[in-house]
Amino acid sequence: MIVNRLIEKAMEKAQGAQASLGQSESTDVSFENDRLKSAQSSQSTGMSIRIIVDGKLGSSHTTDIDDVDGVVARALEAAEFGSPVHFEFPGPQEGPDVRVYDDAVVPVTKGEMVRIGEEMMTLVKEYNPHILINARTGKSVSSIQFANSSGIAYSTETTNFAVGVGGQWIRGTDILLAGHGFGWKKREIDHVEVARRAIRLFTMAENIAPIKSGDMPVVFTPEGVKVLLLALILGFDGKNVFLGSSPLAGKLGEKIADETFALTDNPLLDYANGSGTYDGEGVPHQVTPLIEGGVVKNFLYDLDTAGRAGTKTTGNGIGCSPTNLVIKEGDTPFEEIVKSTEEGLLVHNVLGLGQGNPISGEFSVNVQLGYKIEKGDIVGRVKDVMLAGNTYDALKNIAVIGDKAEWAGGSLLTPPIQIARLSVVAK
Amino acid sequence: MRERIEKALRKSDAEYTEIRIEAVTSSWANFSGEELDSIGSAKTVGGIVRALVKGGWGYATFNDLSALENRVKEACESARLVGKEESKFAEVEPVVDEITATMEKDFRQISLSDKRSVIEDYNKIILGYHDRIETSNVAYSDSFRKVWYGNSEGTYIEDERPNAGVSLSATAREGDNVQRGSESVAGSAGFQVIEGLQEKAEAAARRSVDLLSAPPVTGGKYTVIINPRLAGVFAHEAFGHLSESDFVYENERLKELMVLGKRFGSDILNIIDDGTIRGLRGTHKYDDEGVKTRKNYLIKGGILVGRLHSRETAAKMGEEPTGNARAISYQHQPIVRMTNTYIDRGDAAFEDTIRDVKLGLYAIDMVGGQTSMEMFTFSAAYGYMVRDGKIGELVRDVVLTGNVFETLMNIDMICDPVEWPPVGGGCGKGGQSPLPVALGGPHVRIQEVVVGGRQQ
Ligand SMILES: [Zn+2]
Repeated sequence: MIVNRLIEKAMEKAQGAQASLGQSESTDVSFENDRLKSAQSSQSTGMSIRIIVDGKLGSSHTTDIDDVDGVVARALEAAEFGSPVHFEFPGPQEGPDVRVYDDAVVPVTKGEMVRIGEEMMTLVKEYNPHILINARTGKSVSSIQFANSSGIAYSTETTNFAVGVGGQWIRGTDILLAGHGFGWKKREIDHVEVARRAIRLFTMAENIAPIKSGDMPVVFTPEGVKVLLLALILGFDGKNVFLGSSPLAGKLGEKIADETFALTDNPLLDYANGSGTYDGEGVPHQVTPLIEGGVVKNFLYDLDTAGRAGTKTTGNGIGCSPTNLVIKEGDTPFEEIVKSTEEGLLVHNVLGLGQGNPISGEFSVNVQLGYKIEKGDIVGRVKDVMLAGNTYDALKNIAVIGDKAEWAGGSLLTPPIQIARLSVVAK
Repeated sequence: MRERIEKALRKSDAEYTEIRIEAVTSSWANFSGEELDSIGSAKTVGGIVRALVKGGWGYATFNDLSALENRVKEACESARLVGKEESKFAEVEPVVDEITATMEKDFRQISLSDKRSVIEDYNKIILGYHDRIETSNVAYSDSFRKVWYGNSEGTYIEDERPNAGVSLSATAREGDNVQRGSESVAGSAGFQVIEGLQEKAEAAARRSVDLLSAPPVTGGKYTVIINPRLAGVFAHEAFGHLSESDFVYENERLKELMVLGKRFGSDILNIIDDGTIRGLRGTHKYDDEGVKTRKNYLIKGGILVGRLHSRETAAKMGEEPTGNARAISYQHQPIVRMTNTYIDRGDAAFEDTIRDVKLGLYAIDMVGGQTSMEMFTFSAAYGYMVRDGKIGELVRDVVLTGNVFETLMNIDMICDPVEWPPVGGGCGKGGQSPLPVALGGPHVRIQEVVVGGRQQ
């Protein structure tokens, strides 16, 4: 393997090294404005190395598979002025079983991908011919080789398949954007269901419902839960915790959310986008509970950050970021949550997430796709509405959690969540 | 390279074909807290072939240059699968040109250790500013991009695109209250752009500490004065994206909404996109379809007079190409993008804008912005309340939002002069981010802006 050659070359001068080589072939077809617009094939190669010299770390990468000497030389130069290391490269360890490769992805032709897009487009058009439609289908097959100077050497292959459909519905100066998509490591995606979900979002938005400013109960759809999750992703990042920029620093074991709330990082779900046997440092993946019963259980670490913080890696290298996040189901069906709401907001999609100071938990977003709930019914779409609050306050203020978790994208599995009160500003 | 590109282009049986190849050398160093987090360098080489058959596009992207001719065939095959109608692609005069970048201090000649020590200094300034400073993040990065572009019409361009930037961020904390102050600088002029930024480092630190004691702004509707940097964001986010013709060209209803000659603001409002202004981050001689960039008025005297085009959108709308087809890298096709976008100067003075304001908001700098057609939202880094004609207390969590059409109509004062803050970052669209763009403008006053935040 090429990565072994990289390690050999690096170890002539270094005391430790890790190398990886990723290669991928992908195909995408895309529909724009009701018609097939383009088809694309992509071939990519990337080779990276991290090395330790005299206790300091340097890194480099390249797209040129033949440039073994060059990439090693540049990493050596970086290591000379590099950052002090707080870890040793791990030795080989047995990894958990998780499926990340599906044979059925490989033979899918561009023609078949076109057909999937056309079928989704036709369904949305049948619902409403005035919607201007975009759709896409994509697949990829990738391989990764990994090795380090402590004896790890392995290679894996993964596949990916994704479809999506959405559109614009313009009435006068009112522009409505909605859509649905899903992608994971498996061929099996019900594209008809994907189109139906997109249609449902449009159907619920047929009427525009006026809404008054004020505090009110807010239900987040699985997609909408991302509004609450962003602060947690930053907050559970072990580096932010170590550096003290996370508001969760020092709160291990503390209750920060309603006791019905549980959040887990789970890289062992078959075919999910964030799944795999090992992380980017050759460490076996593991399931890490982050919040249980509202209490902070763990943070996410990679090797170096764990070393700095005096703890163990959770297999979230490189970068302390989550793999797949899973929120525990509650016991109330979504329909019942809506039915029991006298007046409130259902939030599916927002604009402006992550602007400002997201790590503090504060959010102030424009509701791009959200619905008014009135006397237990979804009565229409809201317009020109801002939603503001703080994730950490909201989590203590959970009214109810839905009984059915759904994928929102390929790496978040969550039920809908209702927050008892959030501030809504309407124009 | 020219020979290789032209030889491969001859293998094409499409109506139009282009090849863009890029070689990028880059380096980075960043501190988080006391310690250097990462340091390194990279070399990438890659390319894209784009072919047009009967109105359908085929693309092939690759890192392996050895099979260039096969990639051309692949792109043609894809285009043939897609194409079912007549191609429309605006005519431009073929050009052959070679552009070389001149940098006062070439960052490729500067060692990683020197790059490191410049930012180490900034990092120390931030960490030592105050005992409430919890941590820092100071990141340096540079890239030197060489682009070879050739198309089947005979255009051949070699271009060099250097970029160096630093971002300075301070985090202050008091219990659960965590605040950030950030500054960034980027440019194509050379390494000197990122030197001498001690004051900016201190400003980022000072702001993070000051914001600890600033209250969040109370949500509601205000008269808002935006500073030049926010005015640039406004020109870009609130209007610029709507004038990108790929949103409009196949959308009959949007065409009605965005018809040339329609009034969008009062007489004082002029919004311009200009890819030719020397030294700005969005400036290039040619776009990524080999079309010369130029100064494009979007709004003149409050009236919509133009929009931004690629060769395809121009042909489909019967307008001229404007040199706005840009791609962030060889992994992407060129799409309609802005370059340097600004609100032109007016004749008001800053004092005029606040004198008669009973309760308003002076919003400063930005930490993010996003649009979805007619809806926009952008976040100011901080703001001051305006009370009875005077600048009042510092406030945080300032998010401005609204409907573009209404908000443009509500601009009632524009100051002088236009400023171009040399900030880093860039624009994102269609999965391509960050594209270097510049945003400029003077102080601008807008009536009745919805400011997000909790109500009290
Ligand atoms: Zn933008």
